[in-house]
Amino acid sequence: MSFREYDKKTFLIDAANDFTARRISKRSFLKKTAMAGVGFSAFNLGLLGNLRKDRSSLFGSPAWAEEMGDPAVNKWLKDVGSKFKGTKIRYTSEATPPTVVLDKLKGEFTALTGIEVEIEIVPLEQVLAKATQDVQGQLGSYDLYYLDQSWVATFAQDTFDPIALYKDKADLAMPGMDWEDFSKPLVEGLAVYDGHWAGIPFDIPIMTTMWRQDIFDKHKLTPPNTTDEFMTAAKTIFEAEKGNGMFGTGLQAKSGHYSLECDWTQVVWNHGGSIFTKDKKFSGNDEAGIKGLQYYQELLKISPPESTNSTWDGQWQMGASGQIALVNSWDEFFPGWDAADSKVKGLWQAKRPVRGTVPYRAVADAGFGEIPNAAHQGGSILALSKYSKNADAAWIFMQWACSKDIMTRCTLGGGFAPMRLSSFSDPRVKAKEVVGPGTTRHLPVVKEIIDNDMASEPDMPLWAGFSNNEIPVNLGKLLTGQDFGGDAKKCMDAIATQVNKAVADAGL
Amino acid sequence: MTASDMGKPSRLNWLTSEHSLPWLLPASALMVVFGVYPLIAAVLKTLYRKNAATRREIFDPLYNWTKIFEDPRMWDALLHTLAYTLIALTFQLVLGMLIALLLDSDRKGYGILRAMMTLPLVIPPAVTGMMFLLMLNGSFGVIARLIIATGLLPVGYSILGNSATALPGVMLAEIWQWTPFMVLIMLAGLRALPKEPFEAAAIDGATPVQAFFKLTLPMMSKVIAIAVLIRGVDLLRAFDYIKVMTDSGPGTATETLTSYAGRIYFGNSDYPLASAVAILTLVLVIFTSTVFMRIFKVKL
Amino acid sequence: MELSRPWQIARDALAAFVTAIFMFPIFWWALTSIKPISAVFDKDRIVWFDFIPTTINYAVTMLGQSRSQLAIDAGIGMGVAGTEAYDSRSSILDSAVVSIGATAVTMMVAIPAAYALSRMAFRGRNAFLNWVLGQRFMPPIAIIFPLVTTYKWLGMRDTDNYYLGWLGLMLIYALMNLPIAVLLLKSFFDDVPKDVDEAAMIDGATRWETFCKIVLPMAKGGVAAAAVLCFIFSWTEFLLSLFLTTDIRTVPVKIQTFVTSTGNEWGFITALGTAAVIPGFIFILLVQRHLVRGLTLGSLKE
Repeated sequence: MSFREYDKKTFLIDAANDFTARRISKRSFLKKTAMAGVGFSAFNLGLLGNLRKDRSSLFGSPAWAEEMGDPAVNKWLKDVGSKFKGTKIRYTSEATPPTVVLDKLKGEFTALTGIEVEIEIVPLEQVLAKATQDVQGQLGSYDLYYLDQSWVATFAQDTFDPIALYKDKADLAMPGMDWEDFSKPLVEGLAVYDGHWAGIPFDIPIMTTMWRQDIFDKHKLTPPNTTDEFMTAAKTIFEAEKGNGMFGTGLQAKSGHYSLECDWTQVVWNHGGSIFTKDKKFSGNDEAGIKGLQYYQELLKISPPESTNSTWDGQWQMGASGQIALVNSWDEFFPGWDAADSKVKGLWQAKRPVRGTVPYRAVADAGFGEIPNAAHQGGSILALSKYSKNADAAWIFMQWACSKDIMTRCTLGGGFAPMRLSSFSDPRVKAKEVVGPGTTRHLPVVKEIIDNDMASEPDMPLWAGFSNNEIPVNLGKLLTGQDFGGDAKKCMDAIATQVNKAVADAGL
Repeated sequence: MTASDMGKPSRLNWLTSEHSLPWLLPASALMVVFGVYPLIAAVLKTLYRKNAATRREIFDPLYNWTKIFEDPRMWDALLHTLAYTLIALTFQLVLGMLIALLLDSDRKGYGILRAMMTLPLVIPPAVTGMMFLLMLNGSFGVIARLIIATGLLPVGYSILGNSATALPGVMLAEIWQWTPFMVLIMLAGLRALPKEPFEAAAIDGATPVQAFFKLTLPMMSKVIAIAVLIRGVDLLRAFDYIKVMTDSGPGTATETLTSYAGRIYFGNSDYPLASAVAILTLVLVIFTSTVFMRIFKVKL
Repeated sequence: MELSRPWQIARDALAAFVTAIFMFPIFWWALTSIKPISAVFDKDRIVWFDFIPTTINYAVTMLGQSRSQLAIDAGIGMGVAGTEAYDSRSSILDSAVVSIGATAVTMMVAIPAAYALSRMAFRGRNAFLNWVLGQRFMPPIAIIFPLVTTYKWLGMRDTDNYYLGWLGLMLIYALMNLPIAVLLLKSFFDDVPKDVDEAAMIDGATRWETFCKIVLPMAKGGVAAAAVLCFIFSWTEFLLSLFLTTDIRTVPVKIQTFVTSTGNEWGFITALGTAAVIPGFIFILLVQRHLVRGLTLGSLKE
């Protein structure tokens, strides 16, 4: 296919997806298809739903909304949801791709049910603070919480188990929920705590090894498979490209931030260590843990100095501005690097994350349900608050938001990994596996990672605190030279003392 | 007491405007409901020990207080708080006075300069923090790159990502934003000075520098003292810049008492412990401001 | 004082230069808001003016347009799909309403208190003054949780009623501003000679009448100055607004929305930041004269 043709096709698919995601009106969609010289009938009608009549004038009305989603779900929304007309439900979330897109799609839900949805978007640590305040005071400000996997254990006591709720409230159960469709590893890694679902998996950023094809070709490098190869490749690039302002890799090593904790956990696991041992003692200070941290210190030397002040934001900018050509980090960076005005459009590739050269510590030897593996994940769940005053209406929204059609369309809008198996194979998602804004071309790799490499942090109520405070603050002291004189062992011992004391104090 | 107060009969007049009660009532009501009650609640909160796992709070009055006094991080934070306050205040005061002297002119155009000088004040500190976060970025930030271009810092140096320079970096935002506040207050003071003493001094052959130290400074001492008090109280509780720019980091290099309380509040959700640190800050503010007012005989 | 001509020119230049330095961050911020992202993050050089300006950040934050729509039209786009969630007009409204309301409440409460402190002798006068002053001593983080539970009990959270949510913020900001307002206003009332109102009262006027007709008009410059400061402090407050409200999002809180899991939306951050300067600046220009005259803090009274 010629480049022009390829371009045209991408343009059409983008336009179609924007239309299905309600970003553009039917009129402008038709205009665009006409512009691209495609007769309407030539287009795959199944992709778009019912297009018989131009109803763009009905935008926002029930009739319009009905054209959008799954008819069975829409009927259910009208029959069941409209009983709660006029209710307002709220949820608080980080601005992650699914939330941002859902915020856009929620108009359809409101049009059919009359239930208003307010999504409060704040940065991650503020979500934690506001959700904590809500459960602590049993305020009921929020009906739904967006919970990071590292807090699930903390909040499990405050949320309803969706599986039980689906059975108990048969009158509110959404048709076609298909719980089996949720990716098993995600359910177990994110949602389940103590044998119950704390919520429904909603987002899964996961560690992926990403590299720049052009730079690797230039230096005749092959993408690394192991941590050692990663280090070698990074050093090679650093030496060769120093003059061009390029570094070996980039880190999200902002002191005191969860992002640093994520990076650190990964290197510890990759060196055969774990955060806790089975006797519930902090084990970042054992031999494997120290090796991991030293590896990280080594990486920092060939990373942009700004790494120590960077969260995932800074790390993404490093990739977008051409400062780095190799990184082990979140797959969610990918769509942005492929955006239309990006300097690195189409240059990045993704593969399964690098693995350690020693075996991963067995789950049985790690504590608090921790799963050491090659892919740290920062997934989140959508959970229904026990303090909600509109629990029924919120439950209806939650089911809708996690329905097949909506989840797939969220993926289409943001190019992030879906939760449902059916979304991975959806033709609309497949159609976007090309270079361009909101690309999904990395998703087959992500699916492989989820199925094979996914790790999980410890499930314990204190983890939200440790991962946001004790661990990244002390790591920051070490990495920025405030304390410990560069000695990884001293730093880890300091953390061990604090963490073990807190665990003992809490009587865990 | 004024003559009118004494002239009035001493019957029940507390509902009329002659009595102070109606004048003070609205402010008192506001302070009781939104000031006194939360204060008591916060102090009581510190007497409970929170179990981080079960979230239950048990009455254990000394637990949090012994914990913070034994905590080296708290003592560091206390030092940082004092350093942050003293250094930023000195810069703001000296720069504020110098700029006020510079802008205190009736010539054309100076009015506009004074108005522009006020502009930084209307930007929310949380936004200022973001602004400087971007400008101090060693890879992309304009201020950082200009400094690096002079050769003072190595290429790509992360000002906020190194424990040696993070605190000055945060202070830069603080000083930029609040020096104009000092300028305003100093300008108001300068403009209100009577002209005669200066004319007399000039006739006596005093230089402008002598006039400044012998006349301007003493005459403005009260303004300066109050300005220092207002700013000092805010600086001791500084939070927004640190939260947004470094979040107490790197390590604990920019951790002040309030930002430490913030970390405990945001990260560990240990409200009793966070309250204890915050109440300690309150005690520090009360103590320093009282001492300050005594030493400099500030009369409000 | 008179300067010789070269010195005068040097002083003018220095004054302009110093002001320019202080204006630079705002200028840079505004410039960043019209830059394409690739010009903001250029690893090789500082991009000054050689970029193609974009209005997309303002169209999204100030006109509520969808970024993905704009990106399609303009053929550009970065990061994930943008949505109307970035529309910040309601935040400007929230901030303006809350700040103006808080200023009004502060004035209503502070003026009478300052007058009483300036003119009346009553038991506990000093204690009262210290109590007022003490309202600014409290670190907000200590009182967030008690305040939230108080507001819940009073039914005054914005999730109970949006307008009461506004009121809730106004009241707590009024408390926060009270010390500065009382301090300033008191110094102004002190500057109004006491003979004036005593003469009026001997003529049979009540205190209230004297206050309204004589003292207040003479101190209106001080009221203006105090009001400006209250407005600024309310306009810029972050922490309390973050925790006390959910649906209401004042500008400093709204800007945090753009810190996302896939990177900060620097374009939107700078656009809203720039736009948020404007209302405050207009307000300051209007009262600039009073501001410089008004902040004397009773400097010359002994």
